[in-house]
Amino acid sequence: MLEYVFRGLLNGSVYALLALPMTLFFTTAATVDFAIGAYALLAAAVATAVAGPLGIAAGLASAVVASLVMCVIYVLLKRTSKDGIRVALASFGLSLAISSIVLIVWGTKPFVRQTFTTVLEFGGLRVNPQGLLNVAISIALVAATWLVLQRTQLGRMMRAAAVNAPGAELAAIPVIGVQCGALVAGGMLGGTAGLLILHSSGMDFTASLGLTFIGFAAAIIFGIRSPVRCLAGGLGIGVIEALAAGYTSGMVTSMVPSLFMLVVLLSGQLGAGRYSGDRP
Amino acid sequence: MTWRTSRRRNTWIMLAVAVVACVVAPLKPVWLDTVVLTGILALISLSAGLSFGQAGILSMAQGAFAAIGAYATAVCTTRLGLPAWAGLPLAIALPAVLAWVLARMVTRMPELATALATLALATLLEIVARNWDAVTGGYVGIAGIAPVEGFGVGWRFNILVWTFVVLAVLVYENLMNSAHGRALNIVRHDRTRAMADGIAVAPLLSAMLATSGAMAGAGGWLYAHYITYMSPQSLDTVASISALLMAVVGGVGYILGPVVGTFLLSLLGKLLPAQEAQGLFYGGALIVILVMAPEGLLGWIHRRLERKAAREPAAVATTATEAEHPARTLETAP
Repeated sequence: MLEYVFRGLLNGSVYALLALPMTLFFTTAATVDFAIGAYALLAAAVATAVAGPLGIAAGLASAVVASLVMCVIYVLLKRTSKDGIRVALASFGLSLAISSIVLIVWGTKPFVRQTFTTVLEFGGLRVNPQGLLNVAISIALVAATWLVLQRTQLGRMMRAAAVNAPGAELAAIPVIGVQCGALVAGGMLGGTAGLLILHSSGMDFTASLGLTFIGFAAAIIFGIRSPVRCLAGGLGIGVIEALAAGYTSGMVTSMVPSLFMLVVLLSGQLGAGRYSGDRP
Repeated sequence: MTWRTSRRRNTWIMLAVAVVACVVAPLKPVWLDTVVLTGILALISLSAGLSFGQAGILSMAQGAFAAIGAYATAVCTTRLGLPAWAGLPLAIALPAVLAWVLARMVTRMPELATALATLALATLLEIVARNWDAVTGGYVGIAGIAPVEGFGVGWRFNILVWTFVVLAVLVYENLMNSAHGRALNIVRHDRTRAMADGIAVAPLLSAMLATSGAMAGAGGWLYAHYITYMSPQSLDTVASISALLMAVVGGVGYILGPVVGTFLLSLLGKLLPAQEAQGLFYGGALIVILVMAPEGLLGWIHRRLERKAAREPAAVATTATEAEHPARTLETAP
């Protein structure tokens, strides 16, 4: 039981990293970037191609480049329509395209890389050091995001753009710039998550949509508002998934993120007010 | 010029295209296969167009609805030994009922939440299909689904497929010309106004999604009896997304938009060097269309024609000074 919870927490910390960009972009632009999982996939794929620590840098860079492409698409779309659903659709297109590129270049082989061969033991719990590293990186990034949002000028601009975009525009805040910043941050965070998954459980070319899904489920489970809630949501989903894996069939485990999402959406968590970028 | 004003012009156009497809396709076996699959995809894509373009429900579950239809008929024919036609009512009714229930739950949600909820449902259904060994055959799927009686030969089945597509367009067009369709147009533009007009919005949208689910189910029925094999990978989430993006590329607000999009993407897709590049091509096409022509390909053509029509009479009637500023006459044109 304890082991399942512990393992869930380790996995869940990575989910929190996928949830974080969802929150950032949703609160600043009131729409969803479905390509987060694709950034993670791209980062993992590129990192396997380049050896050594340079691979990690290359992976992150590729994820950021992909998110910059999304920025260009976003700005172009904003020119013609205010419709958020078009952005979501376009990010779907980008996600499909990135998965396809990964499939063409790297084929169907899974991406996985083990950094640690030793296993730590804590009173009967066997833990790969990578898991602890994942948790540390995730918590650090969530904390950093929270600090940026709450304590810096940039964070204040982001929050202003989220609460009232026209008002922020009048106050000389570059709203589109802030939204693009959220997208690039999403690329960075998604890429980091991809690298962490690469070094722990691994993934293959079909992973992108599933990762986006988990991220979104983790982002909305406790309300899509703050980075800390993302962390809680990610850990929560991780734990429930691990418990489901331990006590029920694989079918239930794979259903966990979708079920969560459906239940949360049906309970009206993503209400009309929040949809338009409003905050309570 | 009467066909332009006819209330059934889309059906007539579709009928003409279908006749051409049925005559030309059997000339080469490769063409026949492509044309049959394009027709089935067009049917599923039409259902996506009906739900997103008209009812405003961005449904990412159309592939799942088609899969339910396909599984329903597969189980009927292989396990119960019923004829293929007996599976058709079930293949249409089951997805329609499910779509109705889904719609009752999601119509109150904002667009984006609806899209995510349908996507979540589609994923759940796929997982169920993968694991419910007793009925769906799990990962292995169901093989040996009998072809439709009397339509076993390729060219005959092709005619059957395109008959379905023409019928779907006919139903779609009649629906849009009816009081329901006009009510739907109001709902799309302004939901509050529609409510004030006394339109029961939620039941109307649910009925539309149910119709679209039925259309997708019919597509699934055709698919199962054409491929004669059904597995969780056959009509998965990727198929749902493809159907949707074909509809968007063609022009989701136009009745024939999804058909145009399907033709374009699946025929051009045949020219790709490798199957792996399909996602790149589809995704790229979606992004380009969304950026360049938000109304889709048909919307772009429509606007071009309108501009041309607005310019021509203006050029005849206007004085020389106005003719020097064609841009202005363009802007003031309705």
